[in-house]
Amino acid sequence: MKYQIVIAGFGGQGVVFLVKVLAICAGNRDIAFLGTENHGMSQRGGSVSCDIKIGDFTNPVIDKNQADLMIALEQNEGLRNVSYLKLDGTLVTNAKDKDDYPKLPFKGFAKIDAFKKAEAGEFPIQGLNVYMLGIALATDKNFPFSVKEVKDAITQMNAKVAKQNIEILDHAMRDIKEL
Amino acid sequence: MKQTLMGNDAIAWGLVHANVDMVSGYPGTPSSEILGVVQKIKHQLNLDIYAEWGTNEKVGFEVAYAGAIAGKRTCATMKQVGLNVASDALMSASYIGNLGAMLLISADDPGFHSSQTEQDSRVFAKFARIPVLDPATPQDAYDLTKYGVELSEKLQIPVMLRPVMRVCHAREIIEMDRETNFSPNKGKFERNVARWGAVPRDGRFAQGVEQLNRIEVIKEYNWDTLLKSEFDKCMGKDTLIITSGTGYGFVKETLNDLNLEADVVKVLMPYPLPVTQIHKRFKAYSKVLVIEEPYPCIEEQIACDKVYGKNTDTVHKIDEMSKEAILNALSNINLYDGENIYKTPPSLNFDVEARPPALCPGCPHRDVYYAITKVFKKKKAIYPSDIGCYTLAIAQGAIDTILCMGASVSMASGFSLSDPDKTTVATIGDGTFFHSGIPPLLNAIYQGHKFILVILDNSTIAMTGRQTTPSRSNRNIDIKKIVEGMGIDCIEHHYSHEMQDNIDFFKKVKEVHKSATGPTVVVVREFCILDRERAVDYVPGIFAQVDADKCVACDQCTTVYKCPPMAYNDDGKIEIDPFLCAGCGGCLDVVCPTDAFIQDFDYLKRGK
Repeated sequence: MKYQIVIAGFGGQGVVFLVKVLAICAGNRDIAFLGTENHGMSQRGGSVSCDIKIGDFTNPVIDKNQADLMIALEQNEGLRNVSYLKLDGTLVTNAKDKDDYPKLPFKGFAKIDAFKKAEAGEFPIQGLNVYMLGIALATDKNFPFSVKEVKDAITQMNAKVAKQNIEILDHAMRDIKEL
Repeated sequence: MKQTLMGNDAIAWGLVHANVDMVSGYPGTPSSEILGVVQKIKHQLNLDIYAEWGTNEKVGFEVAYAGAIAGKRTCATMKQVGLNVASDALMSASYIGNLGAMLLISADDPGFHSSQTEQDSRVFAKFARIPVLDPATPQDAYDLTKYGVELSEKLQIPVMLRPVMRVCHAREIIEMDRETNFSPNKGKFERNVARWGAVPRDGRFAQGVEQLNRIEVIKEYNWDTLLKSEFDKCMGKDTLIITSGTGYGFVKETLNDLNLEADVVKVLMPYPLPVTQIHKRFKAYSKVLVIEEPYPCIEEQIACDKVYGKNTDTVHKIDEMSKEAILNALSNINLYDGENIYKTPPSLNFDVEARPPALCPGCPHRDVYYAITKVFKKKKAIYPSDIGCYTLAIAQGAIDTILCMGASVSMASGFSLSDPDKTTVATIGDGTFFHSGIPPLLNAIYQGHKFILVILDNSTIAMTGRQTTPSRSNRNIDIKKIVEGMGIDCIEHHYSHEMQDNIDFFKKVKEVHKSATGPTVVVVREFCILDRERAVDYVPGIFAQVDADKCVACDQCTTVYKCPPMAYNDDGKIEIDPFLCAGCGGCLDVVCPTDAFIQDFDYLKRGK
């Protein structure tokens, strides 16, 4: 299997948390994993994008037109990085409920206003990363890991907050079905 | 045992598994996590390890190096520009050598992600005549850390490990030792003045001759144990690609993506190279392409008319490696003539507003810089600054120059001498002041240079992950006393979330400075908003909202104060993003000319 995922957001949104969760998923199934993260200067609220390559790869960076999936934790950060996604890939993005979102040519697509949901108290803002992961899980039929595998990894990451995170994941998967 | 690790985690485990029990260094992205993870492993496994930050890279290097002279296995960690600071010690250590082992880790940052230069530490190793190892992945980083420590003890010379950001901050499932049987060398200094205290000319000349001979021995060793088997694996293709570090991973994937064939040699030790043996192997090829980053280190050692690389304009010369850059290089040597598969339709290039890094919401630096620019007006001031989080105040127009660690103070001297009609107001963080701000301040005091120095003391090295500063570990060294010890006053101010307090303070400083005959030094006691230990005691929890009727869209807050939660909404009024506001209350006073920022008493009820 070869699968490449870009996660885009800004500093403080917990992009690296998602990288770690997916790395644990790969480790549990003994599939090769190579990813790259942003630390340091780029963390101070600036644009952050992390690359995750699952399967037989030798460098951690995703080039343009290569990613199978992009999870965008914020609308503009998604658009900024959209050229890394293959045309037959899937874009999952947090974006405002407005009509001005551009029409994009990707095969798979899901858009949801996660900020609005967090503001309405449906989940805490710190869980927006996990919420969008749930949207991706429910949208991308080729997603390399099962819901159970992701939940197990979330529990391994931090057992203390696992219950809340798993609830957010389930919440997201219900929301996307209702869309 | 399989483990999912980031490159810097892998290096830390490699050090422990190589029985290194002294680690010293200075934080700097992308190297910072290495020492911190060693500290974690030390506590987790209850190991007797010295793993502490030095006051700067030179100090860190020298502590570790002395340990290696005394027979221990040691390590110094830093980023590539930190090596500039430690280079004085390195150049001599390479003549003198060591009895135990010393691994020097200098992490490079191709692509300028978090660095002011894109310099190549491998070239520095070549300059210093020590061997350098170049890992391609976290697995390599683990393996080469252990290998480098062994090699240093065997050769009795410091060995450099040079990971780049895409190794340090890459994450991978790696295979590492199951057991940690930690058995460090016992330190025992053996007096040998002729070696450890060698003086010019005879002593150092003899060591210089040894150094040259040693490099020849290492070249042979590089060939026999690392390179020969790589060349022996080659399949007799028409093109040979020689690569090291991340270059290897990019080359392999690009060849695979493009369905191309070439022999690929991965160089683990890019210096010193056994050039004669390598050249003999060139006979079988029509072209040799060198892929490495960021400088042409291998290329310049093996240059001949078959070699293509940066110096022949075949390969990109600046910025990070990408498969697209490799594709272009393969096109340039006529190995590939197909389309660029690493391109998406131009319709997908969205012109999205940039989101540069910014001072965090609630960061006291923002308010202090705001107050400084209010009191010392731009037209009549020069603002030299330094390296740290506070560099981000450049977005507030509060910084004019950035050079390197500590330069704010010495450049303030230079500006005050060369343009005395303006007031020079220099800013430096406490970490940087300890690192290299003290000698230039001494200089300014005894020379009588008239400028204002503001030391922003948040008692942490914030930018690189909040490592401890000397003001906070063991003895709580106080900056004010250091300055007073140099024979001048140090005016102290405690940051206030009420802006007027900060402005009043700097007005007072301005008055004091008028009659000064030398530098006026100020320490502003702050905190880092991300510092869980201290921030809770200081953040007042006053959250802001905007009175839309009062907002006249004047841009003051978005251009001069620049707090990330502030942005225009669809109605053309400023709105505070409730997810980002830190509750510092800093904007409620002075910042808005129409007083549109008001306290949001309902903040906590809105599902935070």
